[in-house]
Amino acid sequence: MTAQGTTVRTPVPHRLATTLLGLVLPFALMTAGALIALSWRDELPDPVATHWGADGPDGFSSFAGALAPLLLGLVLCVGAWALGFWAGRDGGARRIAVGTSAGLGTLFAVLLVGTLAVQRGLTDAADAPGVGGTIVGALVGALLVGIGVALIVPRDAPQPTSARVDPRAPRLPLSSTQRAAWSRTVASPAAVVAAVVAVTASVVLAVVVGAWFALVVPVALTALLAVTLVWRVTVDERGIEARSFVGWPSVRIPLDEVEGASVVHVRPLPEFGGWGYRLGRGGRAGLALRTGDGVEIRRTGGRVLVVTVDDAATAAALLNTLADRSRA
Amino acid sequence: MLWTIDTASDEPLFAQIAARVRAAVSAGELREGDRLPPARTLADSLDVNVHTVLHAYQDLRDEGLVDLRRGRGAVVRAHPEYVALAAPLAALVDAARRAGVSPATTASLLHAAFAQPTPED
Repeated sequence: MTAQGTTVRTPVPHRLATTLLGLVLPFALMTAGALIALSWRDELPDPVATHWGADGPDGFSSFAGALAPLLLGLVLCVGAWALGFWAGRDGGARRIAVGTSAGLGTLFAVLLVGTLAVQRGLTDAADAPGVGGTIVGALVGALLVGIGVALIVPRDAPQPTSARVDPRAPRLPLSSTQRAAWSRTVASPAAVVAAVVAVTASVVLAVVVGAWFALVVPVALTALLAVTLVWRVTVDERGIEARSFVGWPSVRIPLDEVEGASVVHVRPLPEFGGWGYRLGRGGRAGLALRTGDGVEIRRTGGRVLVVTVDDAATAAALLNTLADRSRA
Repeated sequence: MLWTIDTASDEPLFAQIAARVRAAVSAGELREGDRLPPARTLADSLDVNVHTVLHAYQDLRDEGLVDLRRGRGAVVRAHPEYVALAAPLAALVDAARRAGVSPATTASLLHAAFAQPTPED
């Protein structure tokens, strides 16, 4: 709540790395894709196939038209990079933004090169073979590059503070001999609905179209959703942590980086644009799993993290009390 | 839920942890099917030995309050009798506080009340 009130905000860290990995890298990949396509220009049919249905190519365009998707890729990459560059105070959110940008660049570049490669030497694009392998390769490549880049994005350096915790924030009465911990699980109903819909739809699609490669999508979705469905949130003398039931991923704020915690009402869609670990309005990072109460933690370095969880009042009060105690 | 232990208390730590679960079940804070935190997690959080937490969980299992299964952890079982006591217990605590009677005295009064022979019909 008071985050907006601070006049001096620390600059977003690691902007050079964010730009190199989240803008220069995907830009270079897509440029390379375009250059390879240009070098094949004389060997390609005119028009070229740009869209495939169940029975082979069903969409065609000029050579320039085939390059047009790169513009969309460019816009998406610039958008993801901009998020990381201007709003990426939170290391986790910055990693996701930069990884997304690098992954998207890979996806668009591989799709372009792969779909044109199968048409080299053809006189009629309608004879082009299927591109299932290219699609699987592009998805897997995008995933690998995205994850790889996300892993090498520099993490936040520890920024401990010894300043007093916000005196207006809630507290929990504890005696000096008491040890306290708070723990609670939170499930994401949106993820369950999304999981069932997406997995069913893609399995049906795969069976109807008879495209084995389309099964990659439900498998990947299931794996992705399995690790983000249920989380355990813990507050103790080490700080606050939200950890997926699978054990990974997790988000943690050490006690010495807590400036103050409070309860907020969270609406994932308008405030964070969806569900999951996201960057929201005002540069807040959020583990937004459902509508309702959440803990908002103001963290050193101008960072804010919101975690939706039941009984957020107790979690916030305990976090402030333990932070007080560690700085006494 | 909130877990507290008092290192200065005479009551063993495992008993304090078990008592916290009983109170939470009685207050409706823990319901049938709820999972207690993995013993390792809770032990790390409270900075106690994992065997202390396991001791507490095993006592609760022996009482029939939780199911302990390998891989699933401790799951709370249905306990209507605990819930039935929630309101009278809250009233007793409230009355004791208003009258300025200490928790120890209130507990001993409660023990004494149970020791009274009940008239047979």
